[in-house]
Amino acid sequence: MNYILFAIRSALADFARNKGRTLLTSLGILIGVLAVVLLTAFGLGLKRYIGNQFESLGANLMIIMPGKKETMMRGGGLMGGIKFDEKDATKLARIKNITHLAPMFAKSAANISANGKTEIIDVIASNEEVSAVMNLEIEEGRLLEKRDIQKGAKVLVIASTYAKKFYPTVSEALGKSLDIEGQSFKIIGITKSKGGGGMGGDVDANVYVPFKSTVVFNPEKKYFAIYFKVDNKENIPAVTEEVKKILGKRYDKDAFSVMEQTELMNSISSIFNIVNTVLIAIAAISLVVGGIGIMNIMYVTVTERIKEIGIRRALGARKNDILLLFLVEAIILSVLGGLLGLLLSYAIVLLIQPLFPAYIDISAVILALGVSSLIGIVFGVFPAKKAADLSPIDAIRYE
Amino acid sequence: MISLSNINKEYKLDHDVVFHALKNITLTIKEGEFVAIVGPSGSGKSTLMHIIGLLDEPSSGTISFGNQQISKVTDDTLSTLRSEIVGFVFQQFNLINKLTILENILLPTVYARKKLDFNPEEKAHYLIKRFGLEGKERSYPNKISGGQQQRVAIARALIMNPKFILADEPTGNLDTKTGKEIIKLLTELNQQEKITIVLVTHDPTIALLARRTIKIRDGEIV
Ligand SMILES: Nc1ncnc2c1ncn2[C@@H]1O[C@H](COP(=O)(O)OP(=O)(O)O)[C@@H](O)[C@H]1O
Ligand SMILES: [Mg+2]
Repeated sequence: MNYILFAIRSALADFARNKGRTLLTSLGILIGVLAVVLLTAFGLGLKRYIGNQFESLGANLMIIMPGKKETMMRGGGLMGGIKFDEKDATKLARIKNITHLAPMFAKSAANISANGKTEIIDVIASNEEVSAVMNLEIEEGRLLEKRDIQKGAKVLVIASTYAKKFYPTVSEALGKSLDIEGQSFKIIGITKSKGGGGMGGDVDANVYVPFKSTVVFNPEKKYFAIYFKVDNKENIPAVTEEVKKILGKRYDKDAFSVMEQTELMNSISSIFNIVNTVLIAIAAISLVVGGIGIMNIMYVTVTERIKEIGIRRALGARKNDILLLFLVEAIILSVLGGLLGLLLSYAIVLLIQPLFPAYIDISAVILALGVSSLIGIVFGVFPAKKAADLSPIDAIRYE
Repeated sequence: MISLSNINKEYKLDHDVVFHALKNITLTIKEGEFVAIVGPSGSGKSTLMHIIGLLDEPSSGTISFGNQQISKVTDDTLSTLRSEIVGFVFQQFNLINKLTILENILLPTVYARKKLDFNPEEKAHYLIKRFGLEGKERSYPNKISGGQQQRVAIARALIMNPKFILADEPTGNLDTKTGKEIIKLLTELNQQEKITIVLVTHDPTIALLARRTIKIRDGEIV
């Protein structure tokens, strides 16, 4: 124990003499730890963000989409496949335990402009039930009503955060017009913002319009998905079966899938988890590269200190004493890099937190420090072993 | 106290050329002796010293300290014996330049396995004072003179209370006057403190100071 303290003190004294080299050697580990910790922080933030988004849609929400469920889960199948129509919607709406049903057509990433400003927003064309299904709450004006839907009126509902991007205040925006890809729509309602992150893709970034008003974009008059709410969680399995039975008459049973939104959320986060894990694995390679840098410099250090090793052996040092001396040095170099990397990632996370809910949890800290000391041991042990195994007499005579 | 019997040391130069550096060396050194090993350069003095000091192993033959025969022992045991029994003094001083004088003198105590029956710091300061090195405790070896460095080396050799000191041409890198002082110091240690000293030299005038001289030539005692 005393000897470990002695080894730590001599390592620190050596580092103090070689500040530049020490920092450069630690840099490899610093970058590796930085990459791993930041990616973990982003992954955690993204997961939390997605969770929040889905939560805002409320409970018992079900979604019917084209494609096989397994394919959906793996992230494919959103494109192509079958499309639903009015007949499906009408039949499904008759199911007893479905309280609200909104068939949807979406024009993604539409150019919306007003007042000389342009934004890219998804346009959702649906019926009056969409407000209940999507948990929309009015702030100013009114929600879509049955008469708007029947007439196919060129009116829209927009979230307050987006209304304010075109007009200075919510009340000023109400009643004004918005241009959707060259078509003029009147703002009849402004909904409360559901919040969410500052990056794109949040639930607020939608405008809701009556289905028939978008025939220009949707000449086939088809729906890409049907959203509905079930009165009670217990009825979900029965309703799912009923939906499958009805749609099964028209389409192949593998051509569509019925999902609970929690299921969808899980599948989306599992995709993000995979992507994140892959990214972290790639970042981990830079940790290995950092470890090789340490091994390299430790070999140089051992060669520079052969005579010193011989002297220590002549004075009674055992092989293990020499091994420990160099191993401690490698571990300190590595942990130093790990600590600096952690500090830097913490600073970066603090900086980006206003934009994105990234966060560092304790497991990332433990992982970073654990991995960096492990790297010190793994890559330090070879040079340290080389030093310990030098023959004392050859070492002391080395010039 | 130290006996060598039939010690041989061979170096493989090429795969079939063997150099016989020590040939059938048999000798005994008693406790409290001051022995000089003399011989021309290349005769095998250092090789013999390293074998006596357990830094190097003979190709054949046996070494004993007292009743303890040193053969087939582990590397750790050799290290322990070096730590507890031997004190080395080298021609090139062999101090560690990045450590201070005080740290150099204390270094053997860091590697001690047995519980020390003295306070290392106190003893180091005593030796520093005794060898006229006061004020140099925090200096580094390359900032002091050769004579001072060799005194530091002797202090380092003494700190563990070794049974004997092996000095390999300790004056070789010093001018005549300083060399004489170092030899005087070693003689005093032997006379006043009864420390066994084995001194290697190729200088016959220095060898005259020893009570016994072992002459060696081409790896053989003559
Ligand atoms: N590691 C070695 N390999 C080969 N030959 C060596 C080695 N060490 C010493 N020798 C040879 O052994 C002989 C004795 O060397 P040494 O003991 O250093 O002599 P001295 O100290 O008397 O000058 C020399 O001829 C030297 O070249
Ligand atoms: Mg020699």
